[in-house]
Amino acid sequence: METRDIHQEAVRRHLSTVLTEKFEVPEAELRPEATLADLDLDSLARVELFLTLQEHWGVPLADEDSAAELTLRQLVGTVLALIPPEAWQEPE
Amino acid sequence: MITIEADPVPGPGPAPAPAPAPAPGRPAPARAAVVRGLGASLPPRSVSNQEVIALGDLATTDDWLRTRTGILRRRRADDEVSTGDLAVAAATAALHSAPGHRPDLLLLATTTPDRRCPATAPEVAQRLGLGTAPAFDLSAVCSGFLYGLITAAALVRAGACAAPLVVAAEKYSTIIDPYDRDTAALFGDGAGAVLLAAGEPEEPGAVLHTDWGSDGAGADLITIAAGGARAPYPDPPGDPPGDRPGGPPTPPPRPDRYFRMRGREVYAEAVQRMTRSARAVLAASGWPGGSVEAFVGHQANQRILDAVADRLAVPREHRFGNIQEVGNTAAASIPLALAEVLATGAVRPGARTLLTAFGGGLTWASVTLNWPAATSRTLLPGPRLPSR
Repeated sequence: METRDIHQEAVRRHLSTVLTEKFEVPEAELRPEATLADLDLDSLARVELFLTLQEHWGVPLADEDSAAELTLRQLVGTVLALIPPEAWQEPE
Repeated sequence: MITIEADPVPGPGPAPAPAPAPAPGRPAPARAAVVRGLGASLPPRSVSNQEVIALGDLATTDDWLRTRTGILRRRRADDEVSTGDLAVAAATAALHSAPGHRPDLLLLATTTPDRRCPATAPEVAQRLGLGTAPAFDLSAVCSGFLYGLITAAALVRAGACAAPLVVAAEKYSTIIDPYDRDTAALFGDGAGAVLLAAGEPEEPGAVLHTDWGSDGAGADLITIAAGGARAPYPDPPGDPPGDRPGGPPTPPPRPDRYFRMRGREVYAEAVQRMTRSARAVLAASGWPGGSVEAFVGHQANQRILDAVADRLAVPREHRFGNIQEVGNTAAASIPLALAEVLATGAVRPGARTLLTAFGGGLTWASVTLNWPAATSRTLLPGPRLPSR
């Protein structure tokens, strides 16, 4: 597995955990092309999701009006792009 | 559910006797300011979500409001009841719970003073029979009560006063646009008050550590646009008549007299500011979040309260609030919730207590204290004394 794929998988897995555990989204609905609106996340839920990702990954994630239409794949990509490469710690 | 006791507060009748002259000299500096008395006031009229939705023809549902805000109903004061009336009732309740103390300063936190000028506090002090005690309003929106508590506690510790009364009273029904879906259902009317006095940091009720801050860069997130020096109220319609030949130009559109809030940005700021501020006082107190026995946050929105308490790892069973029954009562929300919990006896005196608030300004504040030993009451607001 490429390093980038490993990092992408880490972001995707964390997003899935947050969505299922914190926002109680059924796991079956977590398709890469599902939008935040599809998952029934209202505006405050999206802010909370972004804050949670921001705090976990240490990235500045701006909440935009268009966030409802973001797909999970796009959100993972956005977070991944914001994490500086040097922030990743290689396993010992 | 808050118990409403029908005890009347001092109503119309002879003016209270002038207060005796204060003893010469200042009180001695104190090791701690201690909450000795606590009271609240709620108007009796309860308004359901359905009523608010019908009144403003709001595009929402009772179920949505319950699940997204945690609010089931709120209290609304009748037209003839003012912020000052609510303040007098809450202060009276606080004084009942702290017999033997005579307030020598009154501080009123409010967003809805009875008049633009003068402050509401002096009239409240007069109605309480506090003689010529200093009295002033404090404007920090929903952080107002904690701003007042921190100020008053510092004055006690400095020896500048012996028994300050901190009152937070709000009549948001006068500033809420009933047609604004973002705010119409959130706010309610009410008041709370605490009486502080000198004491020891080990005592129940002792104020321990405080943190407060502001950030005017976010001033536009929570506003009432009109009525201030930036946008004074325009002349009434028809006076002046507008673009008459040689007359004054048409006045600009009437500035918004209602309370407005940019919800998403407020949510993000509120969660982050309260979490950071609460962590500061917890660290100063040496308390892990999990050891907090009573968490009372500003009752803004249940989701904000949960988000903050989750981040602080405060156990669910130690989180207290009453937003379901009274909505967001702005500055009054923390003392109202404290009075309710105190009345139930659900928390032991001396228990580790964390208070945190966030409001327009932006402002925020947090306080750790020992849970008070006082009893509390909730009174109905009474009518104002006739003017002299």
